[in-house]
Amino acid sequence: MTIPTPVLQVEDLAVCYGKVEAVSGVSLTVPPASIVTVIGPNGAGKTTTLSALMGLLPVRAGTIRVDGQPVGTPEVSQMVDHGIALVPESRELFGSMSIEDNLVLGAFHRHRQGARDSRQTMEQVYDLFPRLRERRTQAAGTLSGGERQMLAVGRALMAKPRLLMLDEPSLGLAPLIVRDIFRILVDLRQAGIAILLVEQNARAALQVADHGYVLENGTVRMDGPAETLRHDPRVIESYLGLNSKHQQMLAS
Amino acid sequence: MSGAPVSSTSSRPAGRGVSWGLLRPQTLLVLFLLAVLLAPLVLSDFTVTLLNYVGLSALVALGLVLLTGIGGLTSFGQAAFVGLGAYTTAVLTAGTDLPPALAMLAGSPWLALLIGLLLTSVVAIVLGSVTLRLSGHYLPLGTMAWGISLYFLFGTTEMLGGHSGLSGIPPLELFGFPLTESRHYYYVVWLVVLVAVLTSRNLLDSREGRAIRALKGGRVMAEAMGIDTGRARMIIFVIAALHACTAGWLYAHLQRFVNPTPFGLHIGIEYLFMAVVGGAGHVWGALLGAGVITLLKQWLQDILPRLFGSAGNYEVIVFGLLMVLMLQRARDGLWPLLARLVPVRQEVKRIDPQAAPLPRKDQPPHGEVILQAREVTRRFGGLVANNAMSLEVRAGEILALIGPNGAGKSTMFNQLSGVDTPTSGEILFRGRAIAGLGARRIAALGMSRTFQHVKVLPRMSVLENVALGAHRRGQRGVLSAAWRLERAEEARLLRDAAAQVERVGLGEVMHDEAGSLALGQQRLLEIARALCSDPCLLLLDEPAAGLRLKEKQALAALLTRLRAEGMAVLLVEHDMDFVMGLVDRVVVMEFGQKIAEGLPEDIQSNPAVLEAYLGGVDA
Repeated sequence: MTIPTPVLQVEDLAVCYGKVEAVSGVSLTVPPASIVTVIGPNGAGKTTTLSALMGLLPVRAGTIRVDGQPVGTPEVSQMVDHGIALVPESRELFGSMSIEDNLVLGAFHRHRQGARDSRQTMEQVYDLFPRLRERRTQAAGTLSGGERQMLAVGRALMAKPRLLMLDEPSLGLAPLIVRDIFRILVDLRQAGIAILLVEQNARAALQVADHGYVLENGTVRMDGPAETLRHDPRVIESYLGLNSKHQQMLAS
Repeated sequence: MSGAPVSSTSSRPAGRGVSWGLLRPQTLLVLFLLAVLLAPLVLSDFTVTLLNYVGLSALVALGLVLLTGIGGLTSFGQAAFVGLGAYTTAVLTAGTDLPPALAMLAGSPWLALLIGLLLTSVVAIVLGSVTLRLSGHYLPLGTMAWGISLYFLFGTTEMLGGHSGLSGIPPLELFGFPLTESRHYYYVVWLVVLVAVLTSRNLLDSREGRAIRALKGGRVMAEAMGIDTGRARMIIFVIAALHACTAGWLYAHLQRFVNPTPFGLHIGIEYLFMAVVGGAGHVWGALLGAGVITLLKQWLQDILPRLFGSAGNYEVIVFGLLMVLMLQRARDGLWPLLARLVPVRQEVKRIDPQAAPLPRKDQPPHGEVILQAREVTRRFGGLVANNAMSLEVRAGEILALIGPNGAGKSTMFNQLSGVDTPTSGEILFRGRAIAGLGARRIAALGMSRTFQHVKVLPRMSVLENVALGAHRRGQRGVLSAAWRLERAEEARLLRDAAAQVERVGLGEVMHDEAGSLALGQQRLLEIARALCSDPCLLLLDEPAAGLRLKEKQALAALLTRLRAEGMAVLLVEHDMDFVMGLVDRVVVMEFGQKIAEGLPEDIQSNPAVLEAYLGGVDA
């Protein structure tokens, strides 16, 4: 069996946040059509890592390969070119624009490259999130928390990414919606999209993921198949807990 | 809570993000003072005169740093206040045919300064109460309007000499010694400037100063922490006007002649320009900006006409280009760039473990009804966000408010905490009707809250952010802060803030900028800030969102401890493992209405709740 070329391969990544080295020596790999999750405490450097990979924060050291090809210093437009999309923790929607306009903007880059199939992509996004179709003329700023997250994911999908990076997609969402989000992540994987997931519901994340990394104090402490991590006593003790029947439901 | 350990953090090595440079800030200050003191002894007459003008502009720019850079209120009209100071002293010391009422006060420049300051305060309060309510670009436009009006008032009033102005203003005298020479006047100007710089710095590093610095972060949070934002805006507006008035007084006795030209709108713009170039967010930036602009202008006026071979105001064009470049490359001004080059040691705030603890309100007895909402309805146009919602929270109880996104939970929080006013219905807090009372007054009664979308001041340290919560527990005002007479109270406030920071587990990052914290930690910061106000009811909007297992466990332990002390807690949260293991009762909302209420066990098997929210856990 040959190992497929990973969509994203990061070696020895170091990122500074101000004067502090927030992330150092982080290596991680995201194979095609797989879900990879990064868990760890607050301030461990998870958001910093995603931001640096997207080109939002300067990378201090390390190599980044997309489809095996080295990318020098990541820049946002270049990473978008490579088919990478980030759904940030803060969502960053255009509040005064309608849902549909937000989605159209998601395809801006592809449109400029000559792709004219954004209408079709939008239909796919609407199929995934019927709620967005119902409200497509409504201003994004008036949406509830769950709908905003749907729109943020939908907008990222409009760029037809091969790698989708999600920072806390379930933040502030009701359990029912969180289940939807996890279900959609699994669907997206089936459609061939690779996913790098940072998620507070560690148990649910490890349940849907193929591989997991534990990030502590800016370095990778542990990594392995998600199934293995899920049963690792150290991970259970620090990140999963024993009494989490509700969280387990989220990924069912 | 009184037994909570307070660790001394001053002996601890500085937290992340604090660099240890070579120079102590005090050393630099002494060097600067020496330079100011010795400058007239070595520089040419012309340069000393220029430095006098630098000092005058710095004084006005300093007011703008407070007002615009720190308070976020842009004013183009400061030159008019300079004119007010200058004309007051000109009329009183050089005016002829004064009406008898004024003639009584005439003659002394020092008395004229006092009268000028009084007059400026009155004018500033009147103008402020009209314009400071404006927001966005309307406020700067408003300042332009009165800036222009005052300018024309100076030019058309006969008593003020019209456009030809007033001359014959006497020099200042100190102990009978007339200050007619630049070199002598220099010391008066720079003494005033340095006093203004130091008092401004002191003010910003105080309880009132934190309130002023909170203005830029949005008024909702500041008001919820009990800060009177309207008053804070007025304070900096008046301070800035008084600085400008003093500069005008000094100007009049330096020039010994006044006419309206230097008090017009374009000069007002130039002052703003100085503050921005120097670094509008930094007190020392005012000095730097005034220095750079004044000297550069002089230099360009000399060199450019020679370069172009004809006379003209070329420096204006160069300034315009420089401004565009600055705004693109160094928006925060020159001061931060300069500060980066000098290896100054950044000193963290010292916390005095010996400071007397702040007095605390008595917690109400366990079981007393603290908060009661009766049939609260809130309509936005046709949308009913809250429909006849009723709930009550008792002392020593944690109540969870849960429900789908968009069910109206945060709207309900806003009704309860006074951020918004219900369309109908009644809210009783400790038996008192509070609907429509406003966030600040409700906060004063002992209710404190956190926000779903965190509202922290990213450039302020964690400790100072938390100390904002204690605003209402201090009394000392602006003057005592400017002269450091409130240090005992400040030490008590900081000690309490430090204790709350430790309590929520952020001791490690106490001196870091709040903006450098992960989102989950910023939520903990908000809880510490709320606790710092010594509340008897806490409203927590999604406190566990973004927290990890260990952090959630620590938060649950903290809330359990608070409950045991008699605190009433109302929280909105989506993490059901966290909620169901912690709270005493649950209220469930959907479409703005209550659909269920009861014990956690019952709620988890309530079919309506399962369908609307939980998603068939036991199905």
